[in-house]
Order: sequence, then structure tokens, then C-alpha cells
Amino acid sequence: MNRFRSIISRVVALHVVAIGVISIVMPLALYWLLNEAANGLHRDALRSQAVTISGFLKPQPDGDVALDIPTEMQPLYAGSYGLYSYAVLDPTGKVLFSSRNDGSALFPLQDSHVGDWAMRRRSTGSVLFGVTVGRAVGGQSYLIQVAQDLSHRDVIIDDIVASFFPSVAWITFPLLMALLLFDIMIFRRALKPVREASDTALSIGPTSTDVRLPEAAMPTEIVPLVHAVNQALDRLETGFRAQRDFTADMAHELRTPLTIVRARVDSLEPGPLRDSLRTDLENTTRIVNQMLDIAELESFIVAGDARADLQAVCAEAVAFMAPLAVGQSKMIALGGSEAPVWVRGHPEALFRAVRNLIENAIRHAPAGGSIEVEVSADGAVRVLDDGPGVPESERESVFRRFWRRDRTHAESRGLGLAIVARVAQTHDGDITVENRPTGGAAFTLRLRPASGSTAAN
Amino acid sequence: MRVLLVEDSTELVALLKKGLARSGLDADSVHNAADAAHALATMRYAAVVLDRGLPDEDGLSLVRDMRRRGDSTPVLVLTARDGVTDRVSGLREGADDYMAKPFAMEELVARLQALLRRSDNLLGRRLTFGNVALDTEGRQVIVEGTVRSFPARETAVLEILLRRGGNVAPKRLFEDHLFGLSGDVGSNAVEVYVHRLRKMLADAGATVKIHTVRGVGYLMAEEKNG
Repeated sequence: MNRFRSIISRVVALHVVAIGVISIVMPLALYWLLNEAANGLHRDALRSQAVTISGFLKPQPDGDVALDIPTEMQPLYAGSYGLYSYAVLDPTGKVLFSSRNDGSALFPLQDSHVGDWAMRRRSTGSVLFGVTVGRAVGGQSYLIQVAQDLSHRDVIIDDIVASFFPSVAWITFPLLMALLLFDIMIFRRALKPVREASDTALSIGPTSTDVRLPEAAMPTEIVPLVHAVNQALDRLETGFRAQRDFTADMAHELRTPLTIVRARVDSLEPGPLRDSLRTDLENTTRIVNQMLDIAELESFIVAGDARADLQAVCAEAVAFMAPLAVGQSKMIALGGSEAPVWVRGHPEALFRAVRNLIENAIRHAPAGGSIEVEVSADGAVRVLDDGPGVPESERESVFRRFWRRDRTHAESRGLGLAIVARVAQTHDGDITVENRPTGGAAFTLRLRPASGSTAAN
Repeated sequence: MRVLLVEDSTELVALLKKGLARSGLDADSVHNAADAAHALATMRYAAVVLDRGLPDEDGLSLVRDMRRRGDSTPVLVLTARDGVTDRVSGLREGADDYMAKPFAMEELVARLQALLRRSDNLLGRRLTFGNVALDTEGRQVIVEGTVRSFPARETAVLEILLRRGGNVAPKRLFEDHLFGLSGDVGSNAVEVYVHRLRKMLADAGATVKIHTVRGVGYLMAEEKNG
């Protein structure tokens, strides 16, 4: 039943059925009406003939009656060539005059409804159509029968039908088709706001939750649906905002005291106590920042048309992390593509992912070691270090939150790689790790190329 | 030289004032955007340190108002909201720099001084890093108190590195500054000048070292002892 899901196709289908029914029923009805009208006319003509003939009945002095048809009218009743045949009967049914050669009545009297009724009789294959009219002439009543061979009448009717029906068809069929076109146009116009609302609805995403569907131009039948959708969007927006507000509030509540503590520590006299407090604070800050990132990424969705230049993102991340690497006497370098590499993605989220990969690499590279970031033109970035590498059995678990090699070991890898995994997930990409043949780990973050990636710069 | 501090935490304001005073900067403080607007209308400040999360409105709307009025006082925005979705918005709204809370006092002072230099040369014309200094007007390089004369292009390379103050200076920046729009830059031209500068600094006994971040640019860092 999915064939007629479209309203327009339903209208067209029903309309086609209607045209079919009308084009069968209407000719039949017209034919019947035409027949009725022609029969009526014919009856009237026959009846006036009967009256005319009764005018020719002349009562005789002996009480009999004579039929005196004027010469010029006689060919009308001339046997098989004439238009009409007639018979005059007395009330008992005795035939007084007849245009027939054998002088018989046109219809047996018992069949003829005396009065005004037309009737038919079959005789030698031809069909007679006639009337029997009672008239009084000179105090004497007579029955006058007038009939006509149906073959004569058919010619007239056929003429009418032949000329009438084509013209009716020529008017009716285009009218029906025009009506169908009008219907389609009306529906298309009525559904235009619905199509526009669909386009608007497409643009609604987590970054544009304030968009609502227009209700003003909507057909009244659809307004309740649109209204309900808008209400659902209201609730969704409230939910999104609550989530965002919560993350922002949490950021404020956690970072403000950290800032105060940090400022207090910075105002201490230089010495080993201040240095160790700073290190502790930096670690705490890192965990707080990572937790806030994870919280934000929970409700984070990449807009469908978001594009990022992965090469620029990696250059920024390498530059951002270089002071830390250099401070630990480690080399850091960016390689691979030098041209922009456009991928589908949110630049800041990707920056954080790459930054966390570099941070992880710096932590594991030995002093004097090096970290290499490689961007490839197909939308992947590899972060290589020359540390101990990741054992095969841990290549899935390193991306888990707060994962640590064994529970007795205090220091976890934290959330850094879990954030990378989450960013990869929100970007419909993936993150893998393997060991380099020369030792050290190689993390690969693969992203989807941006649509129309040949564009720009 | 006065700086306006706009921050709602009185505790943090007291600590910041102390930190700025140690670096020779006096500060007035207000705790909301309305008072800040009033203070900016009555006093002329060398710079504004502005918290984004003010009790009455978003600090960024204050920056927008300032820029609309044609007030170009440098603004350093502090934010606790350093999220994925709103990290860069501060700079787009007309702020000059952006720092996430919590931050190190020294970094705040360094960035503030960079802003002050950029605006009106208010802090003199001397760029310093480690035991190396550059008089940007006289084009003199001072290493460990001794004036040295470096060639113009090497001095220009040094100026870029000093202005970045311990952060990476992209290679593109050197190309634009050294060769302008003449365009005809050999692929290793910058490398050559950096190499020469490295040697000159080392010969002069500088405690700073220029590191190459291949694929990105150069970074000046203080050499650790030992």
C-alpha cells in the first residue's frame, strides 16, 4: 500500500478512476436520456398524425363513417414506402380502415393500451412503434392506430448520436483533464510550505537548536503536526541547553578555585615547595580539563557541513606542544602533506584530539627522543614516538577512560586517549595504534575527507 | 600605567593585583560588566584584563561595546569556559588575547606586557628573553649586557623569535617579514639566516637556543644548565 503514499499520486489515481467511471456512465446516461427524449418526440408526432387522420373521418348519413384522405397526403401512408401506417378500429376492435394491404389492425387490441401509450410489435422482423388514440367523430368513438417502422426512426437518432457524442467527448474529456491539472496545481501550492518546512528541518542540528518550522503559511490540516514538532524541538533545545549550561557551570565551578590556588602558589617565595605545588596543580588542572572535555564531548555532534584543514590543525597542535617537548629535550616535527587536507570535522575538537596524541607521545618518548606528526592527503594523521610502544594486548584498552596497566599502579593514562577516541567517534572516523618496526608507538587517526574536498585554496 | 581588572572573584582580584604590582603594573578592579563600562568611560587604561563569566553579562559583550565605540584599548580575556565549542570565540569578538583559567601568573604578565608593547610602545622598546635583549628602535642586540651588532636580517629573525616569547614562530612569518612581497624566497633562505643567528648567539654566550620544529617553524627556548 506504499504505492500511493504521496497525496498527489492519490489524487491523480482517484481522478483517473473518476474519469474512467464518468466516461462509461455518462455516455450511457446521455444515451438513455436522448432515447427518452426522442421517444417522447416521436410519440407526439405519431399522436398528432392520429389526430390528423381522425380529422379525415367523415360520418355518413347511414351512420357509417368514411375515411377521406386528401390526395396530396396519400403517399405518406402508401404501404411499404410510406412513413406511416394506420388503422381505424371501432371500439369492439373491428377494423374499419387500414393502410395495410391485408386490411388488418396494426396491433392486436388487447396489447394496445388504449389511451396515449406507445407500444411495439414485431412483425416479419421489423419493429413497429405506434400509438393508439381514441377519438370521437359524430357521436361515435373510434380507435386510431398510427405506427412507424423503427428503422426510419433509428436513422434520426443515430444522426443525433453520431453528431452529439463526439462533441460531448471533445468537451468532457479536456474538461476532466483540466480539472486534474488544476487539482495537481492546487495541491502543489498547498504543499509548498510543507516542502519549505522540510528544508528548514534539515538545517536543525545540535548547533542550531533554535530553528523552528514556520506555522503561518501551513495548510490548516498540517498545522497540528508542525506545532507538535516545534514543541518537541522546544523540549530538545531545553535539554541541550541544560546539558551545555551544566558543562559550562561545572567548568566555572572547578576552574575558578584552581585559578585562585594557582595565583596563591605563584605568589609564594621561589623554592622547592612552590615548584612541587605547581606540578601538583598542573596535574590536577590537566585532569579537570580532560574531564570537562569528556563531559562536553558527550553531547557533542559534528555539524554535517563542518570542514577542517587537518594540515593546519596539526601545524597548530605541533606548535602548541613544541615548548613542552623542547622543555623535555625532545624533538617534535610535522611531516607529510604540506597542502591543506580538508576533512569533515570540527577544527577545535580535532585540535584537541591531535594535541592529546602528541601529549601522550611526549610522555612516552625518552629524553632526547623525537615525536613525528604526519598528515596524509587522504585525511589521516599519524603520531609516532620512539618510546616503549603499546603491547598488542593493550591496543584496545588504552583508549578506555582512566585505564591503567594494572590496578596496583597508581598512575593511569588518564583521559587523553579516551578523548581522542571520542573525537574519532563523533567524526565517524577511527583511531588505532600499532608498534613501529623500529620500536615506539604509531597512533593513526583516520577521518572522512570533506565533501567537495578539491575546493578552496 | 594602569590596568583595569574585571573579575567577580574578589579573592582572585586581590592575588592578581599583587602579582601585577610585582611587575610594576597598577590595577583598578571592578566586579561586573556595568561597573567596568563605567570605569572605561571615565578613565583611560593601558589594558583590560577581562573575565568572561561576569555575574551580570558575558564579558565578551563588553568587548563588543568597546570596539563599537572605537575604543582600541587592548583586552586580554580570561575564561573558565575553555570548551571545544567556545574556545576561539573571544578572539573573534575583538579581544586581543585569550587565556584559559587556571593560568600561571608569569604568563599573564608576559602576555599583558606583549599587548602593551603592541599598542603604544608603552613598555619601552626592549624585547628580552633569557640573557638576550633587543632594542627594537636602535636595532641593537644585547647579550649578557654586551651590545652586539648583528646583520639586519639576522636581527629581524631574532626580533620575530623574541616577540613570540617562547612560542613557535611559523616559518611563513619569517618569509613574510624578511622578504616582504618580493616573493622570490629560496626554500632554505630562512634556514640559512636562522643557522647564522644560532652561531652568533652561541658565540656571544647566549643562554637561549633556537629549536627547529620541522614542518612548522622555529622556537626559542632557554637552555637548561648542565
